[in-house]
Amino acid sequence: MSQILHPIEKTIIRLLRTTSNLTEVQISEMTNLSIDQTRRGIEWLRLKNLAVVSESEESFVTLGKNGLAASQEGLPERRLAKLITAGPMDLEALRKKLGDDTNIAIAIARKSNWIEIQKTESGSIVSQRNFPDRTNEEELISLLAKGKLRLDQIPDTSAFESLNRRPDFIVVQTTKSKTISLTSQAKSIDTEKDYGGAINVEAQAPPVFAAKTHPLKDVINEIREVFVSLGFTEIIGNLAQPAFWNFDALFTPQDHPAREMQDTFYLKEKTAQKFASPSQIGKVSDMHKKGWKYKWSADAAKRMVLRTHTTCVTIKYLADNMPEDARIFSLGRVFRNEKVSYKHLVEFHQVEGIVVGKNVSLRNLMGIQTEFYKKMGLDRIKFWPTFFPYTEPSLQTMVYNKRLDRWVELFGMGIFRPEVTRPFGITRPVLAWGGGIERIAMLKYGLDDVRQFYNNDLGWLRSVPKCP
Amino acid sequence: MPVVTLYLDRLEKLVGKNKNKIIGALPFLGLDIEEQNTEYIRVEYSPNRADYATDAGISAGLQGLLGVKTGLEKIVLKKEKSFVIKTTSLVKKIRPAVCGLVARGGRLGDEGVRQLIALQEDLHFGIGRRRKKASIGIHDLDTVTFPLTYSAVQKSHKFVPLTGTQEMTVQEILGTPVGGQYGNLVGDMVPVIFDAKGNTISLPPIINSSLTAISTHTTNLLVEVTGTERTATGDTLAVVAATLQNMGFALFNLRSDPGANISKTKTMKLEPALVNQILGVSLTNSQICNSLRKCRLGAAVSGTKIVCTIPRFRFDILGSMDLIEEVVLGYGIEKLLPTLPQSTSVGQKNEITKKLDNIEQIMVGLGFTEALNSSLGSMQTLYHNPKRDSSGVIEVTESKSQEHTILRDSILPELLENLSGNIHEQYPQKLFETGVVFSEKLEESNLLACVSAHRDASFTEAKSTLQSVLKTFACIECATKTSEHPIFARGKSADILIGGKKVGIIGQIDPRVIENFKIRVPVCGFELALFI
Repeated sequence: MSQILHPIEKTIIRLLRTTSNLTEVQISEMTNLSIDQTRRGIEWLRLKNLAVVSESEESFVTLGKNGLAASQEGLPERRLAKLITAGPMDLEALRKKLGDDTNIAIAIARKSNWIEIQKTESGSIVSQRNFPDRTNEEELISLLAKGKLRLDQIPDTSAFESLNRRPDFIVVQTTKSKTISLTSQAKSIDTEKDYGGAINVEAQAPPVFAAKTHPLKDVINEIREVFVSLGFTEIIGNLAQPAFWNFDALFTPQDHPAREMQDTFYLKEKTAQKFASPSQIGKVSDMHKKGWKYKWSADAAKRMVLRTHTTCVTIKYLADNMPEDARIFSLGRVFRNEKVSYKHLVEFHQVEGIVVGKNVSLRNLMGIQTEFYKKMGLDRIKFWPTFFPYTEPSLQTMVYNKRLDRWVELFGMGIFRPEVTRPFGITRPVLAWGGGIERIAMLKYGLDDVRQFYNNDLGWLRSVPKCP
Repeated sequence: MPVVTLYLDRLEKLVGKNKNKIIGALPFLGLDIEEQNTEYIRVEYSPNRADYATDAGISAGLQGLLGVKTGLEKIVLKKEKSFVIKTTSLVKKIRPAVCGLVARGGRLGDEGVRQLIALQEDLHFGIGRRRKKASIGIHDLDTVTFPLTYSAVQKSHKFVPLTGTQEMTVQEILGTPVGGQYGNLVGDMVPVIFDAKGNTISLPPIINSSLTAISTHTTNLLVEVTGTERTATGDTLAVVAATLQNMGFALFNLRSDPGANISKTKTMKLEPALVNQILGVSLTNSQICNSLRKCRLGAAVSGTKIVCTIPRFRFDILGSMDLIEEVVLGYGIEKLLPTLPQSTSVGQKNEITKKLDNIEQIMVGLGFTEALNSSLGSMQTLYHNPKRDSSGVIEVTESKSQEHTILRDSILPELLENLSGNIHEQYPQKLFETGVVFSEKLEESNLLACVSAHRDASFTEAKSTLQSVLKTFACIECATKTSEHPIFARGKSADILIGGKKVGIIGQIDPRVIENFKIRVPVCGFELALFI
């Protein structure tokens, strides 16, 4: 196999052919490569399976504080011996000369049979017996005084052990080091071959990022395409709506808790002048009086709100066009006055589809749902009953999610209540369904925090693939 | 949506079926399981079924679905002469509706008291419209002497309120947290209920008296409901009655004026053909009747129609469509097979959507990544940081989030905010967004905004991008005319003109604005109204 090698790699290979098992530092010292170049070269070689990096432990022996002192002044027992070569000395006099080392010097010299101690009335007299010129410990100290030794280079292990027992005479330091050697493949490679301007085509290149549409927009577009493919036509409407279309037209009573400011964003000092035809207003008002038995107020209906659902767009379309047959959908931003959290946003996207027709039924509504989810790649679904204020009967779709290993509630659906459709002269059943898009997108991208879609975090936007 | 905790061993006893059957059936009552363990299960119920606020109510529903007990859940009210509440003319003008009942021989226990209080709260919030239309007082029957009197007193009136230890005036009570919350519902004269001995037992809709407080050992209850509206008070009482009856209490009428006939049922006629048409099925009349009975309604065939009997507490049933929902619940949703409707319609996207799609494609082609920001922003981001004039700002009322208080009239500042949050990411950074902005007159229009941030970002780069977008999108040539905008640096700021008409602004962002957003590289960009 021919390999294209960088000059750094070639240098390292040549060196390791002559001397194997070198450390990074050694390679750097023995070539004219910097330590960074060396490290990089080793990493490239390793990835190409040309070099092996093996980690090893090495222990070095050096003199400790007392060992260093002994290398200059001699071991305590030697100093004691020297003092008494001229003649026996009193223990107290010795103590003055040897200081803190007296006890250890006496103990070792006595044990080695170098000295004799005689107790007299005035004290102890220490006199010479016989002692060698030089001990193995002293040999080792003078050896270590020249420089550190690897543990396995110590000639006399018993001397090492006896010195090691004495406090702070020698220090053993263990360091981990990486050594590099060549693989058999590298040994046979031709490092002199010139490839004439060839570059390393196998190396990693610096990253660039594809510009792209927003991940949530991709899901929105996918949903839009599914609706269109099912024969639905898109309608759009304003984000700010008179309360009339957002609430009253859907038979939501004016004193209903959902209409309160704590759930809905009202726009300060904004009211709609002409928001519906006089007949539309009259008939909705009559339905409220009849159904809810209260005095309906046009002023409350005039107030401008940020739409809380896309249904306001749908119902206005139905009221203005009174279609006998229709398949329409509306998709866009909706608003709720909520505290922002991992599962709630003040603003999110919703889609809603409706079917108007003579013979359309609840089973058809379920059929469209099943088809919709199938096209979205969700095929384990089931239906549960639920409650929505303006549909009856009402169902919700439950979709099984593998990652979460549970059923997740997705779109809601139902047939518009007659109290909603009758004031606008719509007599045929209106099937309606819809829900939040972020929920589906979270499942698709495997997110647990809905805020991620609106953080505009480039790290995420650049990394999230188009094929989650 | 409200949530109720159901202890499984209690529920097993109440329903007479095992745990697994019960858990499997709960979703088919319209209850969403929020949390589940071996001991209890927490379910969310819809506010139109206040009778599901307690396990007693839910078990009645489960008994129907599981076939333990089907058909009309009838409220039985016994009579006893002495149970009377008289109404004085003083209260008739301020809170005229009153009704009530006596419940005897039940056992509440800890769980019963807890659930009863939860039920009360849900009814107050929903049908009671925060106690305005209806509020409930529940008392220990054995502490009161009949007849009772519903009247009104001045704010100097004194009694010991619930959980209190000493007498307080109404004025003082209105100064407490609970009093403050509902004080707006009363005027100079405050509704009150006395017993025959002259003891104050309740100060509707604010608080009960400590004298009549119930405990876990209370076996006999007095329930009174007062309000501004007779239907609401009656409906509220009906739900309490159904619950207490399911808890094992014997109910007695409390005579009052105007009173409420809560044991009276409502009848509705249902067309079997309509049921089959709406559901897309062909059920026999007896199948329809059985389904309705499983939902605890009365149902009988009469001629070509089905006559349904509906208890008072099922005030969520307004007409045929509501009954059809009951049929499908009783019949079983899982038995309905989804089927696609016949259609020849051809779908299509909205024209504006198509155009926006094109713009987005062009921007991506030019190397811009799409951002997504909220239509609701903050003063800081939209006006203070970019030094923009905030005179025409549109505010929303009482936002719960400080970052979302005003409607955006521009997208550029939000994109700068996005750059600000990404200073640690690799440059160049190029972002765009299309979206709706609002004018002072609340007109909505679609804008395209983009920013490019890197060491060499310049006015010229922004203009090159602008020219390319307009040419590719709609074969439009544009002009840029010197014009000062505080968001842009002096001398590097212009209006965008198409056919002599101003459609946007373009420039290099002013260094002080860059600093306000804590960005560390030059930024250029533009913002342009689409489709005008």
